[in-house]
Amino acid sequence: MRQADIWSGAGLALVALLVLFVVIPTQIESAPDGYVSPRLVPQMMMVLVACLGALQAYNAWRRTPDGDGSLPVTREELLALAKISGVFALALALYLWLSPLAAGIALIAGALIVLGERRIWMIVAMPAGLLLAVWYLFYHVLGTALV
Amino acid sequence: MEYLISGFGHVLNPVTLFWIAVGVTLGYVLGALPGLGKATGVAVAIPLTFYLDPVSAIAMLIGIAKGSAAGSAVSAILLNTPGEPSSAPTALDGYPLARQGKAQKALKMGLFASVIGDFVSTLILIGLAAPLASYALLIGPVELCAILLFSLTFIGGLSGNSLTKGLIAGAFGVLFATVGIETETFIPRLTFGLLELDEGISLVPMAIGMLAVAEMIVQAGNMRALDQQSTEMRDGKSREDRVVTGAEWRRCLPVIARGSLIGSAVGILPGLGASVGSFLSYGATQRASRTPEKYGTGMIEGVAAAESADNAVVPASLIPLFALGIPGSVIAAILISALVLHGLTPGPLMFQQQPQKVGDLYAALLCASVILLAIGYAGQRLFALVIRVPLRLIIPGVLFLCCIGAYMETSSVFSIYLMLVFTLIGYFMRKFEYSFVTFLIGFVIGPNLELTFRQSIQLLDGKAANLVHHPISIVFILLTVVTVGLIARGNSRATQRAEARAGMEKPKEEQLHI
Repeated sequence: MRQADIWSGAGLALVALLVLFVVIPTQIESAPDGYVSPRLVPQMMMVLVACLGALQAYNAWRRTPDGDGSLPVTREELLALAKISGVFALALALYLWLSPLAAGIALIAGALIVLGERRIWMIVAMPAGLLLAVWYLFYHVLGTALV
Repeated sequence: MEYLISGFGHVLNPVTLFWIAVGVTLGYVLGALPGLGKATGVAVAIPLTFYLDPVSAIAMLIGIAKGSAAGSAVSAILLNTPGEPSSAPTALDGYPLARQGKAQKALKMGLFASVIGDFVSTLILIGLAAPLASYALLIGPVELCAILLFSLTFIGGLSGNSLTKGLIAGAFGVLFATVGIETETFIPRLTFGLLELDEGISLVPMAIGMLAVAEMIVQAGNMRALDQQSTEMRDGKSREDRVVTGAEWRRCLPVIARGSLIGSAVGILPGLGASVGSFLSYGATQRASRTPEKYGTGMIEGVAAAESADNAVVPASLIPLFALGIPGSVIAAILISALVLHGLTPGPLMFQQQPQKVGDLYAALLCASVILLAIGYAGQRLFALVIRVPLRLIIPGVLFLCCIGAYMETSSVFSIYLMLVFTLIGYFMRKFEYSFVTFLIGFVIGPNLELTFRQSIQLLDGKAANLVHHPISIVFILLTVVTVGLIARGNSRATQRAEARAGMEKPKEEQLHI
């Protein structure tokens, strides 16, 4: 965790400085006379993060090396993140270009497939069952349109 | 009291009781699934309550919170994998009991202890919140700003292993709360020209992304190991192995009473969280026992101690929320948006302005405890089966519900984008051990903190010396400084001890290799 703490602390300090000197001045106008500046609290928070991030990196750097230079993220988790991101990207594309129904089917069936489900009946039945249940809940029980 | 009685009149009808039962059942199932806790359940369900009447909506959400707190014991006992971190001490004795074929006994004791702890804590909430709120009305913006600052620091220091990381997370939470049009000058802040951000970032997609979707990704990465554990459990055949005997009840009742009080006390203090409560109660029970060495081998008292405290924390954590408007836990932070949405603004004024709604809420809390007992007892074997469903079938359903929950907040796909952004943030916060609890609480109290800070600057005329006219705020500022000092010292000692242990273990390992 030592390496991760050094890198994350230093990274956050840099991000905070970037937000402080670039993002806040360009994204928040200065206040009219007599008002407390709307930049004040965001600036205070970023100064705090910059200082604490640097402190975290320094403290971690001072600690005895634990011999574990690896990141706390496993290969399997990164793979799962990539797969699920892909499914979301596909579902969003279908939502924008086709229909919400297609997006819902793609999300459930896509997630089933990338997580290792290979039984065709399950890949068909689960999206159908969930979409029907949601349709019944909103359009009949709650009496409102979802989309 | 009369509002509570008429509250029962509003709650004891088939529709409201139905929605409480739905909430408890949903919460129990979510709690039983490792990683999907009460905060996730409530965050996903808030949009579903848009179309319910306020009493049913809030009652359902409370049902989810209570059901989930009790349900988390199921996976702790059967899988040795707590549904939530606060059920970790339940697993210490619950899992050995299950391995001895006494899973049903452990699950029943877990349920009874949960319900009693929850009920006692709800009574404490009803007794304490209103008197505390009457004192809270005496404080002004300067004092409130100091109290909010103290709460955020306290929560930041205790929610994770590192005070520095907790404060960084809290500061980012406050920063994200400033996004949108500023209410005094009407100047847009950090909106990047996106009209959807003018009203600020919505809590629901943020919480769903950080809590639910991020957790699903972590689980998807560890799917095989988690599924393997769930297939290895078997039940004992004798009746003694399946029921809680009279002798066990006599041994466990004092333990449950102590656990309920410890959990309630911990819940009142912002930021300590249910994990602290359950571990404290387990530790106290072990110390008080004549056979402390047997703990961890299958002592039913261990399950009773942990579960009673764990569940007592939930209602007690609503005390600072109701009395001061300060969320003491992530569940309280998420409940704020639901309460506001349904016309109840948490804080000291709600006892004066909406006493009937408070009465309804209290009645719903008490009814949810009774329904939790009924549903938990009747459906325990069924809920235990839920954890045997492979994760590859659970994750797609949860992701779909998350999308619906996020989408419904604004009926715009922009909420789903927000959810995905905060999924990534939440995922990396988990992995790098930044407290997302502090982040969410910082986000929720951010607007109030900023408002009171601005008011304080004006009231104090920009001079810190004028604080002498506000002694309460000085007390809380000093408390903040002392807390930072104490927690930083505690963390530093813990790090030194860990390093010393690592240093001692290394030569041993080297010797073994030689």
